[in-house]
Amino acid sequence: MARCVHLLSHLILLLAAAGPASAATLEVLMQQADGRPVADAVVTLQGPAGAAAVVSSAEMDQRGQRFAPHVLAVHTGTQVRFPNSDNIRHQVYSFSTAKRFELRLYEGTPTAPLLFDKPGVVVLGCNIHDWMLGYIYVTDDPHFGVSDAQGRVRLEQLTPGDYRATVWHPQLADLQPMDGGTLHIPAAGLSHRVLLTLEPASADLPPAPTAFGDAFNRAARETAQ
Amino acid sequence: MKLRSSYQARVATVLILLLLVVIGALYFSVKVATRQAVQGQASAQLEVGTRVFERLLDVRGRRLADGVQLLAADFGFRDAVASGDSATMRSVLLNHGKRINASDMILLGMDGTVLASTVDEVAEGSSFRYDQALREMRRQRQAALLIVPLQGTPHLLVEAPVLAPLPIARVVMGFSMDTAFADELRSLSNLEVSFLAIDRQQPGTLVSTQPQVLRDSIVSLMLGPSRHEGVSTTEHLEHRFLSQSLVLATNADSQVLALLQSPLDSAMQAFVPLDEKILAIALVALAASLIGALLLARGVSRPVQTLAQAAERIGQGNYQTPVTLTRSDELGRLALALNAMQSGIAERERQLAHNALHDRLTGLPNRALAVERLGSAIAMQRPMALICLGIDNLRAASETAGPEAVDALLLNVSRRLQAALRPRDTLAHLMADEFLLLLDGAGRDEAVGLADKLQQLLLRPQRIGDHDLALDCRLGIAAYPADGDTAHSLLERAAIAMKDAAQMPGRLQVYEPGRDLAHRRQITLIRDLRHAPGQGQLLLHYQPKLDIRQGHVRQAEALLRWQHPQFGMVSPAEFIPLAERSGSVQLLTQWVIEEGIRQLCEWNRRGLCLQLSLNISAEDLLGDELAHRVSTLLRRYGLPAEQLVFEITESAVMREPEKALKVLHLLRDCGISLSVDDFGTGYSSLAHLKRLPVQELKIDQSFVRNLDETSEDAVIVRSTIEMSHNLGLKVVAEGVEYAHSLRLLERWQCDTAQGYLISRPLSADAFEAWVALPLSAQTSRVH
Repeated sequence: MARCVHLLSHLILLLAAAGPASAATLEVLMQQADGRPVADAVVTLQGPAGAAAVVSSAEMDQRGQRFAPHVLAVHTGTQVRFPNSDNIRHQVYSFSTAKRFELRLYEGTPTAPLLFDKPGVVVLGCNIHDWMLGYIYVTDDPHFGVSDAQGRVRLEQLTPGDYRATVWHPQLADLQPMDGGTLHIPAAGLSHRVLLTLEPASADLPPAPTAFGDAFNRAARETAQ
Repeated sequence: MKLRSSYQARVATVLILLLLVVIGALYFSVKVATRQAVQGQASAQLEVGTRVFERLLDVRGRRLADGVQLLAADFGFRDAVASGDSATMRSVLLNHGKRINASDMILLGMDGTVLASTVDEVAEGSSFRYDQALREMRRQRQAALLIVPLQGTPHLLVEAPVLAPLPIARVVMGFSMDTAFADELRSLSNLEVSFLAIDRQQPGTLVSTQPQVLRDSIVSLMLGPSRHEGVSTTEHLEHRFLSQSLVLATNADSQVLALLQSPLDSAMQAFVPLDEKILAIALVALAASLIGALLLARGVSRPVQTLAQAAERIGQGNYQTPVTLTRSDELGRLALALNAMQSGIAERERQLAHNALHDRLTGLPNRALAVERLGSAIAMQRPMALICLGIDNLRAASETAGPEAVDALLLNVSRRLQAALRPRDTLAHLMADEFLLLLDGAGRDEAVGLADKLQQLLLRPQRIGDHDLALDCRLGIAAYPADGDTAHSLLERAAIAMKDAAQMPGRLQVYEPGRDLAHRRQITLIRDLRHAPGQGQLLLHYQPKLDIRQGHVRQAEALLRWQHPQFGMVSPAEFIPLAERSGSVQLLTQWVIEEGIRQLCEWNRRGLCLQLSLNISAEDLLGDELAHRVSTLLRRYGLPAEQLVFEITESAVMREPEKALKVLHLLRDCGISLSVDDFGTGYSSLAHLKRLPVQELKIDQSFVRNLDETSEDAVIVRSTIEMSHNLGLKVVAEGVEYAHSLRLLERWQCDTAQGYLISRPLSADAFEAWVALPLSAQTSRVH
């Protein structure tokens, strides 16, 4: 998560550097109906004019047998590398239509990054660790960000004006992006609150018990009896 | 003996019935117990089997679910599914389904649409009809599998999600619950297993481990009213089962039923040998007990029958045959007792017979046997002489030497007599002092000879103890056929002859014809005498007694007369001795006293005052009653005692002098005068006479009748008169018949005269009339 925050701030810095002096800032607060903040929610903005700075590479690390970050938002055409920070091998794959790929068992960083050239949700899995689940959200929109643990997304260097916002979260129904409406961002900036209705998440933690495991354990107990 | 009623049959019947009851009870209780055991075992088996079945189904489902889950996790499978190509998907379903032997493979989209299917019934693109049930199952997370009817048979459906890594589809695999599955369940649960799927109310094909023939019946059972869960006993073509119905799955329009059955027949079959054994044991026991019962009963009834026959035999008088029963038990003892009883009875009967016919003391034949022998001789018309022998002085001997000596004496006599007889003759002992001798073929003369010999023989003194006893015998002889032709008459006549012999000098008498009539008259008189006072046959006659000095009659003697209805007037000389012998004389005395008193009272009333003499017997002097009775009568009639004079013979006083003296004093105290009758005939001494409280002496008529001056009687009479007067006694002379006798008596100063000269005895009326005559008429004969 620290890495994610770092990346985010880096990205914001880039945006700020690129934007004119009259840039405005949008702060979006992702919340569930009961007020709990929603992390890993993606917000994309389609602005009136001016292209955002293009970042052409990103990383989806695997650390502690989890994908880090859990949700990575990239622009179309971004090269994403899949470094492996664990001391075990992973076999990362995706059957998503936006990007089907399979990285054979590897250690360290694969030589070539993968190009994500189609917008959409790419669901990542590891073939030997069933619980590992990651998402790469590929978007054509110039502005985007992922909410932190407090559910906040901060987009800076925005030209004041009207923006079309799109919101996505892995726990949205059918993994479909949600229309965030049109945001009028004044030069002074805007604080916006988005309410999300989430479906229950499947845990992506390593010790998570599986149905198979359940059956096995039960069978083991029964035999022991 | 009827078999039905015999002891043997009864014992056997009872025993067999008992055994039958026991065996029957045993057999049926075993039967019930085995039936219950089988039922219980079957139901336990069914219960266990049902649990096993359910668990097997569950385990099977989990195993399949795990397998399917494993399959669904296969990367290649997921890859293929993710490709979205339905042909590819179908092929990968077939491929992977085969790996776990699934019969149906269906790939469902997340919305329940069939993506790919290997089952014809489930079309691709359609909505899977069990999707909702699968979701329900997944939501409840309880069962791992779903049982549904599919293509007419029940199938196990197992579902797993296809993860990429998010769920993109669900794979459903079906396993047909086929015969192999049922067989497996049967081998594990040991129950007959049947499945039936009902799809849209249409029953499918039965899957069963039961043989083909039973299946229709099973199907109808499963479709029947008992299709709901429960245990019941069912029967299919005469095979009995304990059946457990299970509803494995039920949907809106479909149902999967299972029927688990525990066969009762085969379990019962296990007990058939037991039944057969029990039956065999029962039959053997029955036969053995039948034989045993018959033997036992025979062992009892045979000897009992023998004993019964013996008892009958004994009852009929056969004491010779002994009971032969060689046993040591109670029956044996009974037989011994019976034998002992038999010999005892025989002995006693012999004894009784002997006693009946023999005298106890001497062992000689008794009267009965003698009569019998006599009778038989008469029957054969064999001449026979009877000697009846009586011993006169036996009583004296008894008083002298005691009864034991008499017994010894009689034994001795019997021995002596026996010794004198020929073997053919019979000696019988009739009573204590009478013997009878039957001389076979003898006549009177021989009998007389023998009798004389016997008399001499017995006269010889015999030494018994310290005494020498000589027996005085009298013998009467009678002979057959001369003296009678019946045993009874012969015996009677011999006895009469013996009685007559007592009067004979030789004390030996041959029966004289006619003697028996006199004897019979005596017996009749003795018999009738007792009734005479009561029947008014007695009367008193009065003989006047003349006061010689005064020349008038103021006294009379009452003389008893008997008017016998058959023999007419009977003389006192005849019946008084008979009365004395038969012991009825007291009756007569009693009557005489009362009648005398009564008559005196009557005369007193008419002015005739007399002193009346009454004769008192010796018997009356033996007790106190006489004085008492007389005083009572005197009181009752109000008669002065002075009018009575009791005349007592010398011999009467002499018999029991002390007692007599006492009675006489009592009478005298009453005021009754006493007179000694028949004086001179006895042996009484004057000294003795002096002691008696008498006032009068009566000289016996034998001295008076022929009295004249020169005879010896005159001396006696005269001296007696003088002696009496000296002793202060008055003198009566009786039997005065002649006038010169009276003149002599008068001269000798005799006080009173009595006799025919004065008057014969007169009846009361005649006497009264006689007394009323003038004195000259009375004494006409006297002067």
